[in-house]
Amino acid sequence: MSVELCALLIIGSVLFGIYVLRKIRYSKFKIDDSIFWICFSFILILISIFPGVLTVGAKKLGVISPVNFVFLIVIFLLLLKIFLLSRKVSELEDKLKRLVQKIAKENVMEEDKS
Amino acid sequence: MKKILLIIPAYNEAGNIEKVISGLKGEYDYIIANDGSIDDTVKICRERNYNILDIPINLGLAGAFQTALQYAYEKGYDYAIQFDGDGQHRSEYINGMMKFAEEEKYNIVIGSRFIAEKKPLNPRMIGSRLISALIKIVTGVKIQDSTSGMRLFDRSVMKRMAYEANMAPEPDTIAYLIKCGAKVGEYPVEMGGREFGESYLNFANSIKYMWRICFSILLLHAVRERKEL
Repeated sequence: MSVELCALLIIGSVLFGIYVLRKIRYSKFKIDDSIFWICFSFILILISIFPGVLTVGAKKLGVISPVNFVFLIVIFLLLLKIFLLSRKVSELEDKLKRLVQKIAKENVMEEDKS
Repeated sequence: MKKILLIIPAYNEAGNIEKVISGLKGEYDYIIANDGSIDDTVKICRERNYNILDIPINLGLAGAFQTALQYAYEKGYDYAIQFDGDGQHRSEYINGMMKFAEEEKYNIVIGSRFIAEKKPLNPRMIGSRLISALIKIVTGVKIQDSTSGMRLFDRSVMKRMAYEANMAPEPDTIAYLIKCGAKVGEYPVEMGGREFGESYLNFANSIKYMWRICFSILLLHAVRERKEL
C-alpha cells in the first residue's frame, strides 16, 4: 500500500473511532451495539498502522494488491453487520406487530364491555 | 418509616412465582415485572391477585427492570430492591439492607455473599473476581460480591437508572454510578441453591457476559460522561 493511502486510512479510522466514542460518551448508543463499531475502528487502525501483515496475507491468498485485501476485509465485516441488522429489524417488526395487535385487541374488548 | 419496593423480574416463571410471593408473607410491597412471558405467569398472577406489571413484549431483563424502576420512582418509593424470582434471594435480609442503607447513607447496597466467608474457587467466582478487580482499578472502590443480583437502590440512583440509557442492573452500571458519586455498601446475606448448582448461564453465554461487562467497565467507563447523582 502507498504511504498516502496508509495515512488516509489512519486519519479516517482514528476520526471514526473518536466519533463512535463521543456518541457513547453521551449515551446515544447502546453499549452492546457500540462494541461492534469500536472493534471495527480498532481493526481499521491496526490495518493502517501495520500494513505489512496484510501484504503477507494478500500474497498467501493470491490477492494481487494488498489494498484489495483491505476492501475484502471491510466488505466482509459490513456484510456481517448488515446481516445482523436485518435480523434485528425482523425481530423489531415482529415485536411491533405483536404490540399493535395487543392494543387493537384491548380496544375492541373495551368496546365490547361498554 | 421509609418505603421499599421489591422488584421481581419474571420471565416464564410460572413454576416459581407462587413460592416466591408466598415466601414474602405479605411483609413487603412488591411488583412482578413480567417480561412478556409466554407461559402461565400472567394467568397465575391474575388469579392470585398478585401485583404484576405486565410488559406486553419481551424487553430483556434490563428493559423489564427499568420499567419497574419507573413505577417505583413515580409511586414515590424511597428504596427499590432487585429480588430474583427463582428463590435465590431471601426476604429476611431486606429490612437489614434497608436499615443499613439508611444509617450509613448508602445510595446502593449490595447483598453480598462473601463478607464473612471466602469465595469458592470455581469458574463463576473467578469471573466475579475479575469484575471486582476491574471495578477496583477504575473506581478505587472494593466490591466483594460484584455479581450479586440482590441490589438495593435509593431514590437518587433510581431516578438515574429508570430514565437513562445503558443502565442495565449489572456490575458495569454500578461502576458507572460510583463514578457519578454513588456510595456503595455491602451487606452480608446468604443465598439459595441455584447459584452454585446448575445455572441458566451456559458456557458461551458466560463468556459473552464477561466480555461485555469487562469491555464496558474498562473502556466505556473511561469514556462515559460523568453526571453527579
